[in-house]
Amino acid sequence: MASVIEGNEENGFSGESGAVRIQERLQKRHQARIEDAERRKEAKESHSVAEEKSEYFSSTFNRERACIEELLSSCSGAERAVVTEKLEEATTKTLQLQKFLNDSMQFLTQYELRQAQAALQKLQTSLSETKEEALPRKKFAFRTRTKAADKASAQDAHPPPRDEGTPLETSRTQVDGAAPAEQCGFSNMTSEFITKTAEEIQKRDVLLTHLTNCKVRLFGSPSTLHLKHIDGCEILCGPVSSSVFVDNCRNSVLAFPCQQLRTHNTTDTQVYLHVTSRAIIEDCRAVSFAPFTWSYPTLEEDFTVSGLDRARNNWTEVDDFNWLAAGIPSPNWTVIPEADRKANWDS
Amino acid sequence: MGLLTILKKMKQKEREMRLLMLGLDNAGKTTILKKFNGEDVSTISPTLGFNIKTLEHKGFKLNIWDVGGQKSLRSYWRNYFESTDGLVWVVDSADRLRLEDCRQELSALLLEERLAGATLLVFANKQDLPGALSKEAIREALALDNIKSHHWCIIGCSAVTGENLLAGVDWLLDDIAARIFTAD
Repeated sequence: MASVIEGNEENGFSGESGAVRIQERLQKRHQARIEDAERRKEAKESHSVAEEKSEYFSSTFNRERACIEELLSSCSGAERAVVTEKLEEATTKTLQLQKFLNDSMQFLTQYELRQAQAALQKLQTSLSETKEEALPRKKFAFRTRTKAADKASAQDAHPPPRDEGTPLETSRTQVDGAAPAEQCGFSNMTSEFITKTAEEIQKRDVLLTHLTNCKVRLFGSPSTLHLKHIDGCEILCGPVSSSVFVDNCRNSVLAFPCQQLRTHNTTDTQVYLHVTSRAIIEDCRAVSFAPFTWSYPTLEEDFTVSGLDRARNNWTEVDDFNWLAAGIPSPNWTVIPEADRKANWDS
Repeated sequence: MGLLTILKKMKQKEREMRLLMLGLDNAGKTTILKKFNGEDVSTISPTLGFNIKTLEHKGFKLNIWDVGGQKSLRSYWRNYFESTDGLVWVVDSADRLRLEDCRQELSALLLEERLAGATLLVFANKQDLPGALSKEAIREALALDNIKSHHWCIIGCSAVTGENLLAGVDWLLDDIAARIFTAD
C-alpha cells in the first residue's frame, strides 16, 4: 500500500514534465505508425504491376469491346469478302478478350468479373448474330443414305464405277479413280513386266495395289511406297526416303532401301532390305529377310536423293508386334541363309 | 468456394496439360512429337509401345503421350485415356486406302466416356507429299462435321518440314486453356 502511494507521489511530483513526456511519446508513436503505413503502401505499390489494377483492366477491356462492336456494326451492308475478313478479326479479338479476362481473374472483384463476363457474353451473341446474318450457314438436314450419296458423287467424278455394294468397295473405287491424277503407281494388273523411271517417281508417293504375277522395277527415289494386295510378284525399288508400307502380300520377292518398313498380313515373302531405322512385322508368317543387293546404274545418285545412310543397315533387327517375348526370337520371320539368297536380279 | 473452384485454382497454378496423340500406324505421330521437340526425325523406328515427352510451351507444361498405332497396340489405347485434356489425332493424308479405317477408329474414340471432355485436334499430316489429300478432303472423309461432342479443328501439316505444327498445338492449348482455366 505504502509503495503505491509512494509511486503516486512520485508521479505527482514530476507531474508537469511527465505529462509532456507521455504526449511526446504518443506523438512519436503516431508518427512512426503513419510512416510505417506509408512505407508499406509504397512497398505494395512497387510490387503490384500496373496491369494488375482494376482501372487498367476496365479501361483496356472497354476499349477492346468498343473496337469489336465497331467492327461488327461496320459489317452490315459491306461486301462478302470484307465481311468475312472483319468477322474473322472480330472473332480473334473476342477470343483475345476472353483470354485477357481469364488472365485478369485473380485480381478482379466478383462484381467486376461478372460485369466483364456479361459484356463478353453479349459480344459473342452479337458476333454470332452478325455472322448468321451476313454469311448464313448451309442448312443442316438429315440425309437418308449418306453412303449412297457418297457413291453418287464418286460416280459423278468417275463415270465408269468399277465396284458396287459395300462401303469399303465404294471407297476403293474412289481411291482408284483418284489415283492416276495425284498418286503414281499401278493397280489391277496380272502377269506383266512394268517399270517406272526416276522422272516418274522421284520424291513422290508410289502406290501399287492388286498385282498378281507381275515383275515391277522402280528406278528412282520415291518418298514413300505402299504395296497392297500383292500376289506372286517381284518388286524392286530404289531408295525410299521415308517409309515403306506393305499390306496383304503373298508369295513375293521385294527389294528396296528405306528408312522404315512396316509389314502387315504378309505370308511367304522374301524381303531384300536396307533399312536405316527399323523394320516391323504384324500379323505376318514366313517372312524372310536378307540384305539389299539389287543394283542399277543410277542407284548411288538415288541414295543421295533419298538422304538414306548407306552405312547403316538394320535389316536383321525386325520387331514383331505379335511376339513381345524378350529373348526368344519370333517364329514369324527368319533370315534367308546366304546360300539361298538371290544374286542375279536380271533373270 | 465450391470444390470445382478449388480444383480450377489448383489447375491454374500448375498450368499443366495432358495431351494424347493417337492415329493409325505410319501416320507420323512420333515424328510430330520429335519435330515439335526439335529432335532428329531421320532415325525414328515404328513405335513398339509408347513415348512420353514433357515440354514447356507458352507457359504451359505439356505432357504428351505418343502411343503406337499398330493394330495390335490399339486395344491398349484405352489405358491412356484417363485425365486427357487434349486428343491429337494424326492422319497420313497420302494413305487413301485406310481412310475408312481411320474414320472408324476415330469415331470409336470419340464415344469414349473418359475422353468426353477432351479437345480434338486433327493433324492432316504429310502435306509435303505430292499425293496427299487436302485437309478439306480429310475433313470430309473422316466426317468431322458430324462431331458435336467435342471441340475440334483440323490442320494440314508436315512433320518432316515442321509446317503448321506450332499452329496446331497453339490452337489446342488456347482451346483447352479457355475451357479449364476460365471462370464459370
